[in-house]
Amino acid sequence: MIRYGFVLLTAARQQLAYRAEFAMRAISMALFMGVFMALWSTAYGVSGRSELASYGLVDIVWYLAMTETIVLSASRVFVEISEAVRAGDLTYTLVRPLSYPFYQVANSLGGSAPRFALNLAVAAAVVTVGLGRVGGSLAGLAAFLGLAVLAMLLDALVAVLIGLAAFWIEETTPIFWIYQKLLFTIGGLFLPLEMFPAWLQDLARWLPFQLITYAPARAFVDFDPAFVLRAAGMQLAYIAVLTLLLLGVWGRAKRRLVIHGG
Amino acid sequence: MKVLRLLWDYFRHNLMSAMAYRGAFLLQMGGMVLNDAMLLFFWWVLFSQFPTLQGWNLSGVMTLYGVIAFGFGVAHVFCGNAFRLAQVIASGELDYYLALPADPLIHAIVSRMSLSAWGDILFGLIVFVIAAPARWTSLPFFVLLGLLAAVILLAFAILVGSLAFWIGSADNLALQLVNAMITFGTYPAEIFPGLVRLLLYTLIPAAFVGSVPAQLLEHFEWGRMALFLAVTAGIALAAWLVFRCGLRRYESGNRVVLRG
Repeated sequence: MIRYGFVLLTAARQQLAYRAEFAMRAISMALFMGVFMALWSTAYGVSGRSELASYGLVDIVWYLAMTETIVLSASRVFVEISEAVRAGDLTYTLVRPLSYPFYQVANSLGGSAPRFALNLAVAAAVVTVGLGRVGGSLAGLAAFLGLAVLAMLLDALVAVLIGLAAFWIEETTPIFWIYQKLLFTIGGLFLPLEMFPAWLQDLARWLPFQLITYAPARAFVDFDPAFVLRAAGMQLAYIAVLTLLLLGVWGRAKRRLVIHGG
Repeated sequence: MKVLRLLWDYFRHNLMSAMAYRGAFLLQMGGMVLNDAMLLFFWWVLFSQFPTLQGWNLSGVMTLYGVIAFGFGVAHVFCGNAFRLAQVIASGELDYYLALPADPLIHAIVSRMSLSAWGDILFGLIVFVIAAPARWTSLPFFVLLGLLAAVILLAFAILVGSLAFWIGSADNLALQLVNAMITFGTYPAEIFPGLVRLLLYTLIPAAFVGSVPAQLLEHFEWGRMALFLAVTAGIALAAWLVFRCGLRRYESGNRVVLRG
């Protein structure tokens, strides 16, 4: 476990080294939040409604700040893995005293952590200035942070699985696009699940995508201990399922690995 | 004529090399169609709550997505290298194009094709027809507007990419500016407050790659069409002039590049 901790720390330090890229990320985040604030202000303004599916303007904008924080910090580790599989770099990592897929999970979490802190700070600053109001509560913030850690772990497991798909298919990026768009849609990135048609809400609540985006953000804007516990329980269950799946996939992948020397 | 020949030859060769990995090509194209379609989900749910927003409805936003996806796709399929122009300039890769008889700007931008962008083209055509099936006869007009949107996107990419002539490593900045153009372009300009809207018609002309052509398809007006044509010609000319001007400042990095 300590070894994986070091991998995580090294990946986090690596992120901090690229300051210009960091600044660009902050600008992107500010831009997205600006667009959404304008859109929702117009929507609430022209309709004359103060609430939509129990979300007021301040709630929905803070909800978006939280979901965007998670999604813009999400793992891109599938790129590194699929390239390592294609180029054969994977072979030399096998001699390390670490399990390759879990090494990549730690690597991914380390890469995400500094980005998460930056995105959260920028989103919160832009929204506070733009709306002139702070949303959520302190308890909500604590719940958000706790659920977000489990959400990032779930996301990292999915990203490693997508990367390992390179053992079977030539190009893994389209799978990532679909996964990302599932987070955007039934994961509740742009809209909380309560705004969906009833049938879609029922479906989305059972799937893991909402545990990555919707659940942490909802816990922030509308803190409810029962909701947080249920969400954390589901997250842990999905983490267990995905870990088993990852072990199974890795076992099969290793059998497909052919080393030609070099 | 020479330019068209160059464009066609590069297009043919890029497509042929893509076909060597047919599975990956089809997967990328299909993945992109699905990817784009899922972006419409947000609007579908939003318009089920508010039937219209500042004069826009679901069909209008679908038309907007259609035209911007088609324009984005055409720009990336035919001139995929325009979006990494800053990198080409800063790394000294431009030397290769300068030594050849073809126009260096055209040659540099056509020498790469994005495979996934084929999916954007396909999505654009499909979504336009689905948005209002009765309107299918205006498909040629849609294609024309999409091509003009592609010209605006490319000209903007060349303008921001040319910043590298003056400030060196501008690739991140150029990328962010192009991303801003596309992000803003996918929203109706009317939802933004006055000052931001002004910005979208001027400095970051995102309204001209999405909202304006979509409005022309919904309700044609000669005045708006004339403005659209003038902006397209103006920005294309500006891009060409700025690149020319920057080229005079270009210093080779003496980089050795091997090309197959």
